[in-house]
Amino acid sequence: MIDAIQAAYVVAILGAAIFSGWLLAPYVVGVYNRSPGRLDRFLDPLENLIYRVVGADPAHTMDWKQYFLAALLVNIVQMAIAAFILLFQGSLPLNPQGFSGLSWDLTFNTVVSIATNTNLQHYNGETTLSYLSQMSAIQFLQFTSAATGLCAAVAFVRGLTNGSRDMGNFYVDFVRSITRILIPLCFVAALVFVALGVPQTLGGYVTVKTIEGASQTILVGPVASLVSIMQIGTNGGGYYGANSAYPFQNPNPQSDILEIFLMLLLPTTLCFVYGLMLGKKRETRPVLFGAYALFAIDLIIAFIPTSTLNSGMEVRFAGFWSAFWTVVTTAVTTGSVNSTLASQHPLVVLSAFMGMLIQSTPGGIGAGLMYMVMYAVITVFIVGLMSGRTPEYLGFKIRSRDVLLVMSAFLIHPLIILVPTVLAYATGAASTIGLGTNSLGFTQVLYEFTSAAANNGSDFLGSMADTPFFNVSTGVVMFLGRYAPMGLLLALSGSVIGRKRSPESGLKTDTIAFTAVLVGSIMILVVLTFFPFLALGPILSYFQGNVNGLG
Amino acid sequence: MNNDIPRTQYAALNGSVVVDSILRLSPVSLLSNPVMFITELMFFIVAAMAIYPQGFAPAASVGERAYYVEIASILLITVWFSTLSDALAEQQAKNTAGSLRKLKTKVISKKVLREAFSSTVVPTSSDELSKGDLVLLEDGDVVPIDSEVLEGIAMVDESLLTGESAPVRKAPGDVLIGGSRIVSDTLTVRISVNPEEGYINQMIRMVESSKRPKTPNEQAVTIVLIGLTGIFTIIILALLGLSVTLGLGADLSVLIALYVCLLPTTIGALLPAIGLSGISRLYQRKIVAKSGRAVETAGDADVVLLDKTGTITVGNRAAIEFIPFEGYSERQVGEAAFLSSWYDDTPEGRSIIALSYNKGFVPKNLNSLPLSEVFEFSAVTRTSGVKIGRAQEFMLPKGRSRGRMRRKFSSDSVASDDDQSPDLEIIKGAPDSIKRALISPPQDFDAVVDAVAAAGETPMAISQNGEALGVIRLKDVLKPGIKEKIQGIKTMGIRPVMITGDQPLTAKSIAGEVGIDEYVPRAKPEDKFAIVQKEQAQSRVVAMIGDGTNDAPALAVADVGLAMNSGTEAAKEAANMVDLESNPAKIIDVVLLGKQLLMTRGAVTTFSIANDVAKYFAIMPVIFSATVPQLEALNILHLGLHSAVLSALIFNALVIPMLIPLAMRGVRFRPSGTMSLFLRNAFVYGIGGIVVPFIGIKLIDILLSAI
Repeated sequence: MIDAIQAAYVVAILGAAIFSGWLLAPYVVGVYNRSPGRLDRFLDPLENLIYRVVGADPAHTMDWKQYFLAALLVNIVQMAIAAFILLFQGSLPLNPQGFSGLSWDLTFNTVVSIATNTNLQHYNGETTLSYLSQMSAIQFLQFTSAATGLCAAVAFVRGLTNGSRDMGNFYVDFVRSITRILIPLCFVAALVFVALGVPQTLGGYVTVKTIEGASQTILVGPVASLVSIMQIGTNGGGYYGANSAYPFQNPNPQSDILEIFLMLLLPTTLCFVYGLMLGKKRETRPVLFGAYALFAIDLIIAFIPTSTLNSGMEVRFAGFWSAFWTVVTTAVTTGSVNSTLASQHPLVVLSAFMGMLIQSTPGGIGAGLMYMVMYAVITVFIVGLMSGRTPEYLGFKIRSRDVLLVMSAFLIHPLIILVPTVLAYATGAASTIGLGTNSLGFTQVLYEFTSAAANNGSDFLGSMADTPFFNVSTGVVMFLGRYAPMGLLLALSGSVIGRKRSPESGLKTDTIAFTAVLVGSIMILVVLTFFPFLALGPILSYFQGNVNGLG
Repeated sequence: MNNDIPRTQYAALNGSVVVDSILRLSPVSLLSNPVMFITELMFFIVAAMAIYPQGFAPAASVGERAYYVEIASILLITVWFSTLSDALAEQQAKNTAGSLRKLKTKVISKKVLREAFSSTVVPTSSDELSKGDLVLLEDGDVVPIDSEVLEGIAMVDESLLTGESAPVRKAPGDVLIGGSRIVSDTLTVRISVNPEEGYINQMIRMVESSKRPKTPNEQAVTIVLIGLTGIFTIIILALLGLSVTLGLGADLSVLIALYVCLLPTTIGALLPAIGLSGISRLYQRKIVAKSGRAVETAGDADVVLLDKTGTITVGNRAAIEFIPFEGYSERQVGEAAFLSSWYDDTPEGRSIIALSYNKGFVPKNLNSLPLSEVFEFSAVTRTSGVKIGRAQEFMLPKGRSRGRMRRKFSSDSVASDDDQSPDLEIIKGAPDSIKRALISPPQDFDAVVDAVAAAGETPMAISQNGEALGVIRLKDVLKPGIKEKIQGIKTMGIRPVMITGDQPLTAKSIAGEVGIDEYVPRAKPEDKFAIVQKEQAQSRVVAMIGDGTNDAPALAVADVGLAMNSGTEAAKEAANMVDLESNPAKIIDVVLLGKQLLMTRGAVTTFSIANDVAKYFAIMPVIFSATVPQLEALNILHLGLHSAVLSALIFNALVIPMLIPLAMRGVRFRPSGTMSLFLRNAFVYGIGGIVVPFIGIKLIDILLSAI
């Protein structure tokens, strides 16, 4: 168990995230409602220039299909550009270390990984990627993937809002997400990181003579800016293979706390944005309280064992901060790490699984909110029938087609996690890279696909999984895990536009009571779906006494 | 649900139901029920394992044959329980419909063939009649098919259909239900439907589950079930794949047992029965729904339009007070009222007599009443009255023409001092009519009359020999229990709106008395249409009743339209439900039944899904027990190795018949707010659904190990 001071830290950081989310939400809503703001003077000309260059008409509005296809198209084009850079980085500028191009399968995996907000890294950035690759292929896509998540969520909420006529314009939302939300936030955060000692340079790696006379290469680069967007955008792809366990990416407890806070910031903000955009502030309750209640369950599971410092953990953060980080990074499906997962207690790993399986605690940017609404619709439909009325959510009746859409979205997760997990063993791909058939090996394989499906990105395997099988399979899983539920849930929201809304006589979804039922049904649905596999993985490890995974 | 709704009569579990349920085990007939279809498929696989285990190695072993037989039997029984519940529900619905069908036996009717100047009567079997045919019905004849009266007036016994024992008077324009019997006089009627279109046939068609289309909500629940089935299929296939590739050595039969336990078999089995029972419960209240969808929509009603007369009040007023004008006493008013009402056989008149009698205002000159002259109520003067002559008259037996024949007779029972008194002429009626006939109305006439009207009650003035005595205060009589019913739907978040032709003040008073906040006074039947449209424009679901032709447009647009069987054909055509008993207050029952139907479906679904938690804990420790014994730690129920799987499977099967009564009679509930119903049921069927199987499986395990 954790002590009082540690508990106070947890409460303070979560409280700060909720408070900041509450402060930030009205601004975010203003960005998407195109409300006049102070930044307009500088940004309007810039944005209009961008619209003119890409040929987008800001006044044009889209239905859900157009919106989704625009998002998909933009993402695929970016993947193609990033793939080009990664494949040919050897011949491109800004490559002081002279790294050669990546293999086709690693390229595929990496571009999908970054563009889908996953950042599952089958490479070590510091020994594989040039500055150009880090800044354009990786860092730029971290901005655009976070922006895509924001746009999807905003369009989703627009569809659900009573009286809305369309989903908005993807290109406008996308550009404004970057210029007005992500860049300003990252700019401020990067300055703070630099102040805390994180490097930000394009000067190339520094080779120094140590006291013992040996020569050591100091791996520096544009780290602070990458750390900012990787955490704010719930991306998780670090500059270094060791991610935030690496001192330059996360030098001290202050930077550690800041990074945890930044991961939580936007997913929490979106919970408030939900209520504000709907024009029903109280609808934030089930989404926010539900998410944080599930998050609290995850934290409790992770904090049951005493957090001890194991090998693979940073002495700077010790057991507690490593466990805490692991829960947070999976709760918002960021996937950045500050310790080796393999050194975590099985219950911490179980908690990490829970975060990625639920995906809305509060989940990744945009995706988390959409999943929470998906759960709410399922709960309202099944449990809400018991109120004696045809189930309604936000006043619209839940029809067969809506049920079909949410059930399909829910079905995708087990499908894309379990099928490739079995394939990894059936094809021998797992044993090829030395993964055992015991609970530890199984945990690692299951985690790999769970992380990919949830667009989380944390993993046990790292560059070990740089094999064609894992690169391609996780690439496909990440792609489906990102775009299939997004499309289905946008279809749900799009079909609600113009639908009759009943007056508020049905189930009140904005109450604590409903939130409790929602949390209960999410736990049951997710546990029912994945219990046997968790039992064969981390739960079995726990019973087998593998308190330290490495042992 | 409240006790005021009669208990379901369970169809006897007779041989034909069992035979029917066994016939339904054919995979083809299970196709419409995906969960049960898969369960049966699993039965075939395990049965194959029992017959030829070698073919399933390494996931099966010869030594476990007996075990496979056990599992296969339980699986088959599970499916049988499902088909049994179907067959039972259908039998029950048919029984109810059948009790109405009895009267639909074939009869020979007198078909009328009209020529230019004459008409002939041809005996024709009822099934050869068609819409538009004319039929002559005489005393004792049975109405062959639903029809409309063209000529004649007769008393008709509808007791078989409506349960109302008193014969009903039918005149041209009225509707006759097939099966009712003429008990007096003669009618010429026109057949209004073809023999196959009658309500009862429509009802019987609806209860044949195979032909009954799924309602939108049933479709949506089915999609959830298919989705869950998909998820559990992925899980089991993945476990099988892992077992093989990781060498975990799971037995296929145990995996199948887990699969079937996880499948939402409970709701899958009971879903058709729940929908069917909802319709049967309507039939038991003598309401015919034209579709299952209408029943569900009723549960969603936001607004219920209630006609005051017939729904809220019994349609009659009752006297509650005598108010004398200045210079007269209450006794004088009461006695005059008594005398004037003696021959007034209306409920109002009877209530006046009762009030006088109770107050002790029995007039002395009662005996002269039989000799009086009666002025029956006239719509022109809006008054009625009695004139008691000084002259002695014969006492006549009470009869049709009582008091009309005047025959002098001498009697000593009437005091002789009355001989000199003038004729006593007492008139009662609408205050303005009475006032007009007065020579000098009392000063407080208007004040008293207005005070009564202001209280929402009806004043009836009474005058004696041209002098106004006072006012009888008449009050609407509420239907027994209506106030509670209205309170009930209000707590459930449904808005009752009262429609009445009354004056605003009267309407307000009645509405206030039963707790209705909204009322539409001076409403004409046509106004209902506008009210329905206005509410629907605000996205509200409107339920209403109607009987007249004028109601037909409103019934057609209303989400739930309940027509009275006594109403016009047009109204019945437009409505989606017809009440054979023509009791408009039943609209409230319809709404509650709709809610109960949805609630039951949700409750069994939630219960079914929540059950799965315990089943995991029962079976997971066993699946890989050979290779991963550490998972025994999950065996929190301490079940035996073999009996764990059987216990879970048996529980899974037994839950179905145990919930059949719940499915057939519906979840009981007390009217309360949507949220409190939701939370209460979520607790009972959600938390209960998690806890009950832990206990049930453990109990079965104890029993099994004892054997």
